[in-house]
Amino acid sequence: MQPRVFLVDDHELIRKGIRSELLGSVDVVGEADEVDAAIEIILERRPDVVLLDVHMPNGGGVAVLKGVVDTAPEVRFLALSVSDAAEDVISVIRAGARGYVTKNISGPELLDAIYRVAAGDAVFSPRLAGFVLDAFSLEGRHLEAGDIDPDLDLLTPRERQVLRLIARGYSYRDIATELSISVKTVESHVSSVLRKLQLSNRHQLSNWASQRHLN
Amino acid sequence: MGQLHRSDVSTETPTRATIGVPIRPLMRGVDNAILGGVCGGLAIRLGVRERVVRIVFCLLALVSGVGLLLYMLLWLGVRRSDESRSIAQRLVGRRNKVFNVVIGVAAIVAIFIVLNRLGMPDLGIYAWPFFLTVIGAVGVWRGASPEELTHLHDLAKSAPIIGVAASRTRWSFWLRLALGVIFIVFGLKILHHLSGSFGKDTTAALFGTLILIGGALILLAPWWLATLNDLTGERRQRVRMEERADVAAHLHDSVLQTLTLIERSAGDEGAVKRLARTQERELREWLFNPEGSVDSGTFLSDLRSLENEIENDYGVRVDLVVVGDCESNERVAALVAAGREAAINAARWSGSDLVSIYAEVEQSTINLFVRDQGSGFDPEQVVSDRQGIALSIRQRIAQRGGEALIKSTIGEGTEVQLTLPRST
Repeated sequence: MQPRVFLVDDHELIRKGIRSELLGSVDVVGEADEVDAAIEIILERRPDVVLLDVHMPNGGGVAVLKGVVDTAPEVRFLALSVSDAAEDVISVIRAGARGYVTKNISGPELLDAIYRVAAGDAVFSPRLAGFVLDAFSLEGRHLEAGDIDPDLDLLTPRERQVLRLIARGYSYRDIATELSISVKTVESHVSSVLRKLQLSNRHQLSNWASQRHLN
Repeated sequence: MGQLHRSDVSTETPTRATIGVPIRPLMRGVDNAILGGVCGGLAIRLGVRERVVRIVFCLLALVSGVGLLLYMLLWLGVRRSDESRSIAQRLVGRRNKVFNVVIGVAAIVAIFIVLNRLGMPDLGIYAWPFFLTVIGAVGVWRGASPEELTHLHDLAKSAPIIGVAASRTRWSFWLRLALGVIFIVFGLKILHHLSGSFGKDTTAALFGTLILIGGALILLAPWWLATLNDLTGERRQRVRMEERADVAAHLHDSVLQTLTLIERSAGDEGAVKRLARTQERELREWLFNPEGSVDSGTFLSDLRSLENEIENDYGVRVDLVVVGDCESNERVAALVAAGREAAINAARWSGSDLVSIYAEVEQSTINLFVRDQGSGFDPEQVVSDRQGIALSIRQRIAQRGGEALIKSTIGEGTEVQLTLPRST
């Protein structure tokens, strides 16, 4: 069954382009060009996957996520952006998006990402993996003892390994081969990283993004 | 001399007095203004030196404050030479003028009543012109144009003692403290003088003064805030305009030029892609790294320029991900040079249109991975034209105690893994 996909982007050209790329491979159930309309229609149509533009007037992708996630947790979001700014990426992920890809992603890659998100997995682009590794690296960052939840604030060596391979440009299948594990296991590692990213209350995570921007 | 040029001068408002040539009509000066430009304007009108007019006003001010009052009246009633209406006209012309007038009259009446109670007549003839001048000053402050307010604001700023700029120094703090104390002591003296002794009456007078100040503050605070807002709003507007101009200039130099180039080379797919990518990178750099905050001379900046070079020269996409950063040195440069060789090989031979570069700076080592998903080759049978691999990659890294690993599978792609200790 084709996943039901909804597009949110304030640029008509981008929506058109994505629509034509996805034509026939997924069921595009609608599109919106602004935050309020997006929330309303998403709540009404309950698509499987929302392709969400990060930068929009009136709060952007994060506002859409906030308006939908509580009421309709089954709707999954894949953030789609031209921005590589760490704080944008991290903030949509922390608001609940299950993945992040850049707009210059190729058609087949985008489809793959949509199917993955629809199946409940996380989608990390190399760049996002790099951001996460950077954010969770302990080196040179001052962690205050009280703030750390050891389960959430550290990545396991295996998760680190997987993230490194993603950053190096490996597909999930390549990673599975490289580490001699199943693709399912790779997916579960990535999902676990995503969960840590979203649930960790380590305030360094948000600080990190702005610090990085200044550096 | 001036008389010869009289016809020239009279066609437009002169900014300086021409000695001996009276010029109508009377307008307040702009360029020669110290405070309100009244003296400067009078000097132009009468054809005398500004200094003369100023001295006359100062002398008049000593005569029961008549000079002050006169100055205030002219300030309110005469328009600035670059404006069409006087301050008085502006004040009356306000939208909620009825309210303004009522409030103004009420305030003046209230002030006079309180002053009379406080024994104003005892202060003598100086008091009335002085207080009328103060009221006039309030009028100026409410009615003046933004330009004039800015002028006054700058004046206050550059003035010693009360100036914002001056207040940062320790010296001015002490000076201000001393002057403030002297004023307060004198004020108390006068109150003492009025009531004869530091008794109940002095307390009452003091209390009255405080109430007066409080009342004035309540009456004037909204106006004052509005004036401040006007000024900051105007300044903000100006900054915004300047920024807009900067952005426009930048977009013109970069994006518009590139779009023209793209339009021209519409037939050449490779050129169009290359142009678009270069422009994208440039714009991204500009948007996310204002003022070029990525300093040169770091590992990251070296890799960025490598990314640029490969994308421009070979027309492939480079996906660069960097975790951590460090200062560039001879070792780092060698690592980047080896990575460059690997990336060029990937771009040139693999047939893939994407080269992934991942770099990670750790405490003791730096890792660099260059990967493509192209045709791949058999590393055991490196053909002669790929001697580059042995020389520029392996040798470079091995010389510095690092490790170079080349993994390639035919049909699946190649990855060059470079690890270099950060110090020997």
